Amino acid sequence: MSGILQLLTLQRRDGAWPAFRGDPGASWTTALVLCALNGTGDFASARESAFRWLVAERGREGHWFWRWKFKTADRKVRFDPEKYGWPWTPGSASWVIPTAFSVIALKQYTVCNRLEASEKRIRLGVEMLLDRVCVAGGWNSGNSLVYGVPLRPHVEATAIALLALQDEHRSVMIDKSLDLLKRRAASVDAITSLAWCILSLFVYQEPVDGLKNRLAILIGDGKKIQDNAALATAILALNCGEMIHPFVILR
Amino acid sequence: MKLDRRRFFGSAVGAAATAGVAAKWTWPKYSVSYQRPLSSVAVLNANAYSEKLEALLLDGLRLFRLDVAGKSVLLKPNLVEDLPEPVNTNSVLIGAAARCFLRLGAARVTIGEGPGHQRDTELIVQTAGLEPHLVDRRIKFVDLNRDELERVPLKASYSGLHELWLPRAVLASSFIVSMPKIKTHHWAGVTLSLKNMFGIVPGTKYGWPKNLLHWSGIHESILDICATVPIHFVIADGIIAMEGNGPLQGDARQLGKIVLADDPVAADATCAGLMGFDPLQVRHISEGSRFLGNLHENRITTLGEDATTPLRPFSVLPEFQYLLASGTQPFTARQRSD
Repeated sequence: MSGILQLLTLQRRDGAWPAFRGDPGASWTTALVLCALNGTGDFASARESAFRWLVAERGREGHWFWRWKFKTADRKVRFDPEKYGWPWTPGSASWVIPTAFSVIALKQYTVCNRLEASEKRIRLGVEMLLDRVCVAGGWNSGNSLVYGVPLRPHVEATAIALLALQDEHRSVMIDKSLDLLKRRAASVDAITSLAWCILSLFVYQEPVDGLKNRLAILIGDGKKIQDNAALATAILALNCGEMIHPFVILR
Repeated sequence: MKLDRRRFFGSAVGAAATAGVAAKWTWPKYSVSYQRPLSSVAVLNANAYSEKLEALLLDGLRLFRLDVAGKSVLLKPNLVEDLPEPVNTNSVLIGAAARCFLRLGAARVTIGEGPGHQRDTELIVQTAGLEPHLVDRRIKFVDLNRDELERVPLKASYSGLHELWLPRAVLASSFIVSMPKIKTHHWAGVTLSLKNMFGIVPGTKYGWPKNLLHWSGIHESILDICATVPIHFVIADGIIAMEGNGPLQGDARQLGKIVLADDPVAADATCAGLMGFDPLQVRHISEGSRFLGNLHENRITTLGEDATTPLRPFSVLPEFQYLLASGTQPFTARQRSD
């Protein structure tokens, strides 16, 4: 609880959260905090203002001028600029991971009462994710083709994008992406990527016990992990099935 | 002619606007200069990433008479993706450089990188094979994407960003070595020692990729970052370089060179020359030559062999044909006579 109270003191007036303590700017972490608060079912005012900020926030290509530019003059990167999501930081373009986190947070927050505006924003985010999917499934950081050459999927981006799409119609591309994640999960030995694989495969009701055992061996006593985000993700993954999944979307 | 109040006011506004525009174009956009009277470059021949590299590199570094005794050295390689050669600076070279600086008296060596696309830095470190080179307790790896940060005012104003949050590991280092992979780049033309410094900008704040820098202008952001965090030395990995659709999807190019320099502009100009490019065509190199280092061959001395241009220039995407040094004198540094 003290962690949540600390988070609440860091919320900006506009409802967003900064990337870290001391940072005055709004950031992608707002979606993560909303997910954390959604799990408590409390702190209605903080969640409502975060929700409003997220609904209003958009990638820079969401502006008509940039949509026009990417449609007409700048076609080096293949994507549909009509389908925009969320940026890492205000003033930049949409990317897969912040969009996926934002979609999850909005879906969770509005699960009992989804108004038209939030439904529209969620759909746009989902369509953005589906538009950016790699040729053979999975997701890179943002786009699928640059200069006509396919980009390869990243494990973490694929796992997090699939979390955002867990309640969507199981399209061929979602199935392909899930297959890809299962294959990569079987061999990846990096803690963060493996942890995200577990968190994602679990909500698709795939077996994760073997992966959890491998993750536990990789972590050992945890002393080698320098990064708090990696440690936190690993703890969530190891507790998958034994606690409320922070990224589950109720249907 | 009688000057009434309205006409006077109009003239004053016009003069102020003209002065403002003129100032914008003529006033320097940098508040520092790292140019030295004479910069040094050494081009080493190496055909493979072998154990012999350490001795070769140590001999090369000794040519520069570097004073790194007791210093905290930061090696900033180019580790971008969990992909095989030639995407990342080779780990054998990174490890050799780390051990060389310790042998030259450095107190400690930090290898720091904040990859731009792949968020799982551990995955990149594993794929790159860097872990065996971190066994010496005086050599450590820091993920610059997730280090503690400090807000730093920029010492140049090309990007309009004014300030950046930068990692403590970078700001606390007393000797910064940029270790790029010599590659073409599908947005910036080339990615060499100056562009490599994008990797010190933390993902936690600016994302994966650091897209705000792209929107603020790639060349402009490079200039602002390198003005704020000066590069003290360059070790560029051109043993196997990349041509074509770099920095990720290009083709391997066996160049067989390591470029050392005490000046990043001179280093990048030399690398561009080795690629068969005209460095003046790379905006951040040409503009960087005003204050980040030397570009003119009269102010660059070659310590090793001549930086000759390749028989066949590096291939480029059609958009970057202008980089090719055709019709102009290919860049070659001046051979030191002493």
